Amino acid sequence: MADSEIQVPTIIAENVQVRYTVNINDPGQHAKGLRRVGNVLLGRRGQTTVRALRGVNFVAHEGEMVGVVGSNGSGKSTFLRNVAGIEQPDRGQILVRYQPLLLGVNAALQPALSGSENVRLGCLAMGLSPDEAAEAFDYVVNLSALGAAIHRPMGTYSSGMGARLRFAIALAARPKILLIDEALSTGDATFGERSERAMDELLAEAGTVLLVNHAAKVIQELCTRAVWMHKGEILMDGPAEAVAEKYRWWAWNVAKGNEGVADKLLHDVVSNAVKEEINILAPELIKNPIPRHAARRVKTVAAKSARHMKRRDTVGEVEEIDLPLLTAAESQFWPADLEVQPPKAQFPDLPKAASRAVSAPSSRNDPPPLRLRPSNNRVVLRATDPNDRASTVATASDLTGRRLEANSKRIADERYKERQRIRQEPDASPQESL
Amino acid sequence: MNEAKNPLGLITIPSVSSDGLVPVGKRANLKSYLSALWNRRHYIIAESRAKMSSSTRKNLLGYGWLFLTPLLSVLAYWFVFGFILQTSRGVPNFLGFLVVGVFFFGFTAKCMTGGTGSIRSGASMIRGFQFPRAALPLSTVVRNFLDFMPSLLVMIIILVIVPPAEVITWRVVLVIPIVMLQTIFNVGLACLLARLGHKIPDLTNFMSIVSRFWLYGSGVFFDIEDRLADHPMLLVVMQYNPLAAYLTLVRNSLLYGVDSPLSLWLVGAIWAFGLLIVGFLFFWRGEESYGRL
Repeated sequence: MADSEIQVPTIIAENVQVRYTVNINDPGQHAKGLRRVGNVLLGRRGQTTVRALRGVNFVAHEGEMVGVVGSNGSGKSTFLRNVAGIEQPDRGQILVRYQPLLLGVNAALQPALSGSENVRLGCLAMGLSPDEAAEAFDYVVNLSALGAAIHRPMGTYSSGMGARLRFAIALAARPKILLIDEALSTGDATFGERSERAMDELLAEAGTVLLVNHAAKVIQELCTRAVWMHKGEILMDGPAEAVAEKYRWWAWNVAKGNEGVADKLLHDVVSNAVKEEINILAPELIKNPIPRHAARRVKTVAAKSARHMKRRDTVGEVEEIDLPLLTAAESQFWPADLEVQPPKAQFPDLPKAASRAVSAPSSRNDPPPLRLRPSNNRVVLRATDPNDRASTVATASDLTGRRLEANSKRIADERYKERQRIRQEPDASPQESL
Repeated sequence: MNEAKNPLGLITIPSVSSDGLVPVGKRANLKSYLSALWNRRHYIIAESRAKMSSSTRKNLLGYGWLFLTPLLSVLAYWFVFGFILQTSRGVPNFLGFLVVGVFFFGFTAKCMTGGTGSIRSGASMIRGFQFPRAALPLSTVVRNFLDFMPSLLVMIIILVIVPPAEVITWRVVLVIPIVMLQTIFNVGLACLLARLGHKIPDLTNFMSIVSRFWLYGSGVFFDIEDRLADHPMLLVVMQYNPLAAYLTLVRNSLLYGVDSPLSLWLVGAIWAFGLLIVGFLFFWRGEESYGRL
């Protein structure tokens, strides 16, 4: 890779498949035999299996804001629910660095309670202590800007007000991964401004945002990368501009009834699509790439506890070697003067990792969940298409590829100014869709 | 994502390191699950208060119904069973007998119906936030416990005011461990039914019948030993009924001031802790499934 900076993945989804069995009410379909009798008796028509996700592979990194576009029923919400851990996929696995927080469409938490009571309840449900919840309260009220309405029952809120409160509650816990499922599209312009700033801060603190929105323009403005989902699969994964533009063109043609054009476009996209596959490397293998059978025997006791979770307290005995001998040996491996300095290892200063969280499975009971399966360790070669690849975006764009660390506030401001500038340049019209 | 470009202009498959990443939404082991649950204790209390106030706020009388409902039900049961059916024959202090039965049974019955629907009614919280789901059936029990406290007060006032005088002894204090045992029993019951009710939605229809049957089988309105004297087999079964045990324990120590046999205490304690362990483990094993509704 051209730049030496590390891209830290926050979400890895590997071959995620979800299917639902639902009752159908289709007069054209009938079950046969005894099952039909049963269906009639129970007042049902029949059942069918819907494949909501058909093998989604997806990786998101720190500081990335990924837009998800797609027609209704393409599996966007299902995918987000699975990433949030609310549902478990039938096949495949999803790994996260931090616990994601999902903002859904149905915003009301406890409709009978007032907004302020809902704030407290939501904060406590996210694991904040009562003191922290009280501290966060002002932040939530400010961000949601509901004014006196905060004391009214949440059931009386308009959908936009509910979404605002829900968003503000979610940000009170300072989540690192935020999944937004259409939740912000009901907010008005003033709130759009504030929510964007809040998300910029989140991104600048090495967070990740997944945004589902039907307005492709919003995706283009806000996101650095976009994903087009269609019938439970990811068709395109690339720069937000390109993907959103293609999706918009396709949706426009479908809406106008130009089925032929739309189908051809879809066909083009599908034929260009490469089936993404992901090689998940278990941490053990990265740190110690020598295959187990080739390695010398080590103490089996130490190997039992996962190395990435627990610090090893006991240090093996080191044999003393004469210094001159050592330098002589070193010069055989490394030239005395390197032309290129090897990239320095970076250790991001992160908050409590998800693996340390109380709810995380302890390393002692279960083995580390992932291993590189040697049989699957194939190298697939495929044509490079710089426009359709997420990785190229990450290196080209100055926003995503970078590791955003200490000066988070400054970066948030930069992003904000940049966006304002972009907006004002092409047309001076005010934003229309947020 | 490490992508190496080889001389042919082809890209190898991306590899990502899973260092520091964990599977999302997986069931934690029991120890960390319990500690996570302990960390959400404030949430459990807030949630139970929220349930309480959202149900009372709709009514004109608000919290008044916490006292009125058990009071009126005692009146109704007394009219039917004491006055019309005359089940009070042979039962000393029938009003006290009835009051204890109705109030203590109501506590468990509400936990039963509340627990069955707790996952479904907490759907918006489940979808919104990640927390140990056992907080939901637990908060149902806490809520009903908070409801139960004022009715316990009413009960004591009734027992003191209304004529047939109780034999007040030191054994009145024993009500506290009995209520604790019953609450533990209710936690287990609510957890067990919460998972069952989530899996089988039809259970809510069934539960009202079970609750009715249990009401008549636990000796709320009549003395079981007296009624079932002809069926010794059934009597034995009935005596292992946990609720009958709790009711008898309360009546013995509160109304009649006599010592209860040790076997009753054993039945009560074994049911309470046994069901707590079974119900909680059963609920915990289904932790990953509650998001799908």
